[in-house]
Amino acid sequence: MRLAFILSEIGSGLRRNLSMVVSVILVTFVSLTFVGAAGMLQMQINQMKGYWYDKVQVAIFLCSEGSTAAGCAGGPVTPEQQESLNGLLESPAVAQYINDFQYESKEEAYKHFKDQFSNSPIVDSVTPDQLPASFRINLKDPEKYQIISETFSSQPGVETVIDQRQLLERLFSVMNGASLVAVSIAGVMIVCAILLIATTIRLSAFSRRRETGIMRLVGASKTVIQLPFILEGVIAAVIGAALASGTLWAVAHFFLGEYMSRQYPDTAFISSGQTLILAPALLILGGSLAGISSLLTLRRYLRV
Amino acid sequence: MPCRVLRAMIRFENVTKVYDQKARPALDSVTLEIDRGEFAFLVGASGSGKSTFLRLVLKEDRATSGAVYVAGQNVARISSWRVPRLRRGIGVVFQDFRLLPQKNVFANVAFAMQVIGKSRSVIRDTVPEVLKTVGLEGKEHRMPHELSGGEQQRVAIARAVVNRPGILLADEPTGNLDPTTSMGIMGILDKINQNGTTVVMATHDDDIVNEMRKRVVELKNGVVIRDEAKALYTSMIPVVGQSRRLKDASGREEPDAGLPGDGREGGAQR
Ligand SMILES: Nc1ncnc2c1ncn2[C@@H]1O[C@H](COP(=O)(O)OP(=O)(O)O)[C@@H](O)[C@H]1O
Ligand SMILES: [Mg+2]
Repeated sequence: MRLAFILSEIGSGLRRNLSMVVSVILVTFVSLTFVGAAGMLQMQINQMKGYWYDKVQVAIFLCSEGSTAAGCAGGPVTPEQQESLNGLLESPAVAQYINDFQYESKEEAYKHFKDQFSNSPIVDSVTPDQLPASFRINLKDPEKYQIISETFSSQPGVETVIDQRQLLERLFSVMNGASLVAVSIAGVMIVCAILLIATTIRLSAFSRRRETGIMRLVGASKTVIQLPFILEGVIAAVIGAALASGTLWAVAHFFLGEYMSRQYPDTAFISSGQTLILAPALLILGGSLAGISSLLTLRRYLRV
Repeated sequence: MPCRVLRAMIRFENVTKVYDQKARPALDSVTLEIDRGEFAFLVGASGSGKSTFLRLVLKEDRATSGAVYVAGQNVARISSWRVPRLRRGIGVVFQDFRLLPQKNVFANVAFAMQVIGKSRSVIRDTVPEVLKTVGLEGKEHRMPHELSGGEQQRVAIARAVVNRPGILLADEPTGNLDPTTSMGIMGILDKINQNGTTVVMATHDDDIVNEMRKRVVELKNGVVIRDEAKALYTSMIPVVGQSRRLKDASGREEPDAGLPGDGREGGAQR
């Protein structure tokens, strides 16, 4: 009976305060979407780290036509130079740091390039000649990059040694920055959400002061009086959180899954399923924000 | 002493209530007992402290000093989570009825039972019964705005007594009603009192008080200036001191209406 009563009170509260409830839903929706976006960026970073750190670590680019580096004074790399580099990679001194390595010819480089930028007009303006051949090295310990760099930079036929992990790190730091921005926006929006929930609950308590006054007089418990108001805020916030979770899922499914992964086929994007891990966190965050903020408000505005 | 505590439904011991430090106290050292089953009028000019008295009984406010006992319990000692239980034992009626405008008569009365968790079937049985005692049978489905003032007050009384409280507090319940309607309301309050409920009614309606011939406690500027059994609105005898229960207007000592064995030795209480 009491549960049915509380539920009907919540229903009437939500109806009476509809415009405020809608604004609470929207504000929690937007703020939690930013929280979730920050979470997604972190997940994406971890995903790419896992994917890329295994695959590429160090690339030794070999001289080609028109290379201007000091080591390329003798023109494009010769088969002998390439052979001796291969030997050096297999020598015990170097091999102890290496998991495995691969030679990537100009043609293979061109093919990878074409795959990677298949939708971009840049592909048409590039020929296999312009792309350097390289050795792709997978290190046992990525931190040992310096040793490889020192060993190979001065070898004849080597244009440059690049730690691709560093390139990735730069990308990751951009992504980290973006997730920081998202978190800051989320922080401001969450403050908005808390204040708005407090105002909504206050208005709701005011518009129903007649009922609560009578409830007090006939000896309704604090729980029966306050719970409908608290749940009103919590329900609105949870709806906002559900919308935010849905939006994140849609972004992962349609934007990352359908569009981005076609644009960048060899980049591992997070799947829409993975974003669902965020949903419970967002629902709990939204619900508890609303619960706490309405509890504090009621303590001041709804005397029992 | 202990038996007196048990007999008194409401007991004020040197109760002072100060709302505003700069103003005079709303109640000034009031000592008063109202017995189980008694019917008492609280009279006095506006601002004399009648409503404050009732609020202290309900623990809507706390006394600045002194002690308020309800059914033998010092209300200052009741923890906040047990205040609802105190209030379930007290019904309240106001001058402005305080009905919920969007609920019909039945729902207004049922509301008082719903919020304390009474079952649907108990509500279905009890509400019509109580509506009958206040003379509203057949009007269950009317909305408050479809009722006269007297009928609205009957709904409010039904709501106040539907949970069978031991005490009914009425704060100027006839203040908005014409004399005939008021007498009807008084009849209902009297009937409720006959059934054993202690009734305290604040009023400044002299006709009603004179008609009912019940105990009259008169307040003036927060001080009890008269306390007479079977009295009239204005005293027949000169005012003597305060906080004193005087002989009734006829000069005879009268036992109070009350529960069996609840009779009083005499009018003089202190
Ligand atoms: N909430 C309040 N805050 C400040 N002063 C109050 C409050 N309630 C009552 N008073 C003052 O206390 C005095 C007694 O008021 P009240 O008990 O309402 O008298 P009555 O009901 O007899 O008209 C009045 O002077 C009134 O102004
Ligand atoms: Mg008053």
